[in-house]
Amino acid sequence: MLIALFTILLLGGGSTATLAYIADTQDNVKIVMVKDERRKDALSTLKAMKKRTNARNKQVRRSMKDLRKELGQDNVDSADIDAIWDAYFAEIDQYDHDMLDLRWELKGHINREEWQEIFSGD
Amino acid sequence: MASEQNRNDSNNQSNCADYGRQRMPRSSGRWKCSLLLAVIISFIAGCAGKYNLSPADAEEQAFEDLRSEIREVIDEPAREKEAIAMVDALVDDLDNLRQKISARRERVKQLNADYDTTRAEFEAFYDQVDSDIRSNKRRVSEKQRALFAAITSDERSAIAKTHTKALDAAIRHIETI
Repeated sequence: MLIALFTILLLGGGSTATLAYIADTQDNVKIVMVKDERRKDALSTLKAMKKRTNARNKQVRRSMKDLRKELGQDNVDSADIDAIWDAYFAEIDQYDHDMLDLRWELKGHINREEWQEIFSGD
Repeated sequence: MASEQNRNDSNNQSNCADYGRQRMPRSSGRWKCSLLLAVIISFIAGCAGKYNLSPADAEEQAFEDLRSEIREVIDEPAREKEAIAMVDALVDDLDNLRQKISARRERVKQLNADYDTTRAEFEAFYDQVDSDIRSNKRRVSEKQRALFAAITSDERSAIAKTHTKALDAAIRHIETI
């Protein structure tokens, strides 16, 4: 029961507020940019964003597993629970930081006009 | 002539018996087929009805089922009222959460679409989201503690399945945003 509530909490958390969706714009990039070195670099950065998001999702699943384990015990240790949450929040912060780095890296490969066209649907 | 008649009667009886033996299983088979078909159609219709519900309707139904379960399980009116109020509060929280998620999603897309958005603007947005998540966590924990304090362990076990279904429906609804 508590796990389900925390799942809602996690769903309502970073996963829905991140730049993860940018990684799904490869098709737009391929349409908008001519096939050259810059496009290759842009696609490579998008791939890195996807990889980072997958790692983050794995970490969230691990946090859920740890929470389930802790909360399933007879004597729930709130310090252990807090430690899991602290690790979760630290991961969120690091993920956001990494994704912003990657966004700025992506900007380095795409000019203003291309950027507006790629993300005009947003 | 008489023996010819007897033979014909006997043949007729035999034919009737054969017919009966052949007809009965065939009739029974058709009946079984019809019954099976009716069961399959009912099952499909039932499933279609169930899965045709929108995620929002499915969630609403699931929480209504939970309220019914609580009314059945908790005998004391005061505690029953308290538990129902907690479910209502959770439903309100979920509504707010959905609105927040939609707003966050829109905001992050706006920020990203603008080529000139600064890193500081992104970081301010993330700080706000982070603060929201922490406050959600605290609120959820407090409500959970209050619900556990209001109901007995047996009552908790009795409503566990319906409660989980309601929360699963809520998660599915959130995932559609």
